[in-house]
Amino acid sequence: MEKLLTLWHGSGVYNLTPGQAVMILVGMLLLYLAIAKKFEPLLLVPIGFGGILANIPEAGLALSALDQAIEVAKPAVLQQLATALGVTLDPLANAEAWREALKGVAHDGAAPDALRAARDIAVGVGYGDGMLYSFYRVAIASGIAPLIIFMGVGAMTDFGPLLANPRTLFLGAAAQFGIFATLFGAVGLSALGVMDFSLNQAAAIGIIGGADGPTSIYVSSVLAPELLGAIAVAAYAYMALVPLIQPPIMKLLTTQKEREITMTQLRPVSKREKIVFPIAILLLVAFFLPDAAPLLGMFCFGNLMRECGVVERLSDTAQNALINIVTIILGLSVGSKLMAESFLAVETLGILALGIVAFGIGTSAGVLMAKLMNMMSKIPINPLIGSAGVSAVPMAARVSNKVGLEANPHNFLLMHAMGPNVAGVIGSAVAAGVMIKYLG
Amino acid sequence: MQDMQLLEEGLSLMALGMGFVFVFLTLLVIVTTLMSKVIGRFFPEPVAPAVPVRGRGAAPRGQDDDVMVAITAAVHRYRRRHHR
Repeated sequence: MEKLLTLWHGSGVYNLTPGQAVMILVGMLLLYLAIAKKFEPLLLVPIGFGGILANIPEAGLALSALDQAIEVAKPAVLQQLATALGVTLDPLANAEAWREALKGVAHDGAAPDALRAARDIAVGVGYGDGMLYSFYRVAIASGIAPLIIFMGVGAMTDFGPLLANPRTLFLGAAAQFGIFATLFGAVGLSALGVMDFSLNQAAAIGIIGGADGPTSIYVSSVLAPELLGAIAVAAYAYMALVPLIQPPIMKLLTTQKEREITMTQLRPVSKREKIVFPIAILLLVAFFLPDAAPLLGMFCFGNLMRECGVVERLSDTAQNALINIVTIILGLSVGSKLMAESFLAVETLGILALGIVAFGIGTSAGVLMAKLMNMMSKIPINPLIGSAGVSAVPMAARVSNKVGLEANPHNFLLMHAMGPNVAGVIGSAVAAGVMIKYLG
Repeated sequence: MQDMQLLEEGLSLMALGMGFVFVFLTLLVIVTTLMSKVIGRFFPEPVAPAVPVRGRGAAPRGQDDDVMVAITAAVHRYRRRHHR
């Protein structure tokens, strides 16, 4: 009977907290959206599954060795940990209260030395870092995974349309207004007392408006790691929703006549221009914004491998095998941040709401900028391509093309929209660099 | 007062960030345009003009004449039918 009871106490059902149950359902919902609705399945499948893994009771896959020891170790070990951390445990309270007290100290307020000593004790007793925790440390906390993905994106990007019409860079710049407006929105919500975001957190939330998964993850891993789960989920979910979010805004801000504008055909771009361009960006970054160097440096490196034509094999690996491997690890690591304590909060709802506002504002700013440019210049510009300035490559460009075709069945805007689209990637990386410079 | 300070910080980050993004991308537009001009003028692609010349030169003369005869005949017949 005693043995049976031990087995029962060790089972998942006995230990499942309501929060974990809800998070497992959230993970299932993400899987459903990815599999049945085809929402960015490449990322949401690993993220959703990682979310479920992270919330398995007692397994502690997303916990460090120390957290795991605090969570499940025997009272004797807890006392050892308490001495290491410099906490006095109330001898009358039960083990649960001790765990709470230790958790509180371990997460804020403990000196690095004490933490290291406590960790050594936990490892000595036989606890190890959870699998997802290790993935997170290696892939995201170090910043490596989003950067390698960015390199792959660079290797997949064709700058041809942008080089043929460099003015479309302005559209990519305008659409970044979504990022900064949302930042201000998040700060405003805190000032009104609705939510409680610090400036760093507000900046990380704003980056969702850049519609660029790796950039969002990179920035939030630097500025607000505690919000990373919610931010990554919001960024990827809304990227999948671009075809639903953008068209109403685009139609609202343009007239039928503007949507029918046909654009002059793009000039052919020589191989040499394409090779020199990533180097030119890199030099500009080096001179003016070294903080954007990790993101744009990897991006340019990937693109140079693609265009230079002498390292086919490397470019192929960066575009396919490598980006796939890293996507799996990145997805699982993001999933590890979908733990009940941090995800089930009012802030998450705030992040989801602000994220969609960011998309909307970015889209409008891009379209309005395109209208302005159309009025100012002699060469006609269809305002619909402005919305592609929020990155979301190539989805946003396809949306521009589709809305353009609805207005004029002979008007193919896809190539024209690719210019602002890749400009948006550069723009959001620059915005990310500015934020990290200012707040990091 | 804490709130006002936060708002101010947010506003200044917004202005600074947006301004910098524009300045940077404007610079990029200028650099790109210059680069395209320089490359177009001083380092044009050598391959592009070579290909069509070789293609035309390689076609055998005799076959060319046959084709010309056939085309002329076809055009002639077409015109006659439509001028009626």
